[in-house]
Amino acid sequence: MAYGPSKNRSRSQSEPREPNLIPIMNLFIVIIPMLMTIMVTVHLAMIEITLPTDSAGGGDEDTEQLEDLPKVITLALLPDRFEILVEGVEDIITIPQTSAGKYDYFMLDSNMALLKDSNENQGTIDLLPDPTVKFDTLLRSIDICKSNNFPNIKYLTSSTKYYKAK
Amino acid sequence: MNTLSVKVNRSSGGGFQHRKRGNKTKDLNITSLIDILTILLVFMIKNISMDSTRKNAPEGMLLPTTITTNELIESGKAVYLKIYPDRILYGTESMRVGSLQDFLNKPEIRNSLLRLLQMESRAIISGNSKPCLLIQADKELPCLYITEFIKFSAQASFANIYFSAIHTDNKSEVLGL
Repeated sequence: MAYGPSKNRSRSQSEPREPNLIPIMNLFIVIIPMLMTIMVTVHLAMIEITLPTDSAGGGDEDTEQLEDLPKVITLALLPDRFEILVEGVEDIITIPQTSAGKYDYFMLDSNMALLKDSNENQGTIDLLPDPTVKFDTLLRSIDICKSNNFPNIKYLTSSTKYYKAK
Repeated sequence: MNTLSVKVNRSSGGGFQHRKRGNKTKDLNITSLIDILTILLVFMIKNISMDSTRKNAPEGMLLPTTITTNELIESGKAVYLKIYPDRILYGTESMRVGSLQDFLNKPEIRNSLLRLLQMESRAIISGNSKPCLLIQADKELPCLYITEFIKFSAQASFANIYFSAIHTDNKSEVLGL
């Protein structure tokens, strides 16, 4: 004698079965702590500098070509101020500290933007830091120069303040 | 001792009878928890960086903050130099070189570091790569030491020099506003 399907069987076929979430939970419990341990919270940046190279003189160059050469811009980081010297310009741009130990980075940024406008073909800044200036000041200054489209920073290792010889 | 959730119904042919609705233990609804964990997982996978240089922030060192960043040159291989106010560490293994005063005043310290840098530089060049020096220095360090290290690394054929900093998108942070 044949029996019809039981009530339980017909009910289990009609009702949607809940998925078993326990393996997924186990996976999450393993993956999330692992990702948290290797997750980067602080992104490090790298700032490239170049070293000064010996120039080869250039006695055979035409005067017209010399006129087209971009003017050398030197940024000196001094213990109490910034000084910017543009080749061929008599006046040195001086940016004093706002208060003791506080450099005026805002003014440096403004001056760099102006210098870029007047020297569009120049992409290099010669940087001359005083030995007592902090590394933080050095890197902020490099960063300001780079953010104003002066991508090449030439680190002058000589301590001679040649820009004062004029 | 655990009790069974089903009991035998002796009166109707020995089949199992389900518990009454009132006695049934409620299942924990973990769907919302799964949703949160899925969002968290996606967020973490998006933010994860497999670049080893990005997560090697030296412990106990205050790095400056910058908005611009440069990539390592093509086929460049970096050698790490960590300069703390009280010590110098060399390489990814953080080998102790000595103090800053030792570096300035003791020729044997300078010579041993120079030999290390030269060896490393030659090894990188022989592997058809370009030697790069990555200086990680404390933000309070005077530039005197940085200049000395740059001069020093130039002697060891490191033409590409990088400074390490913490990257930020906020320019006013750099400008000190």
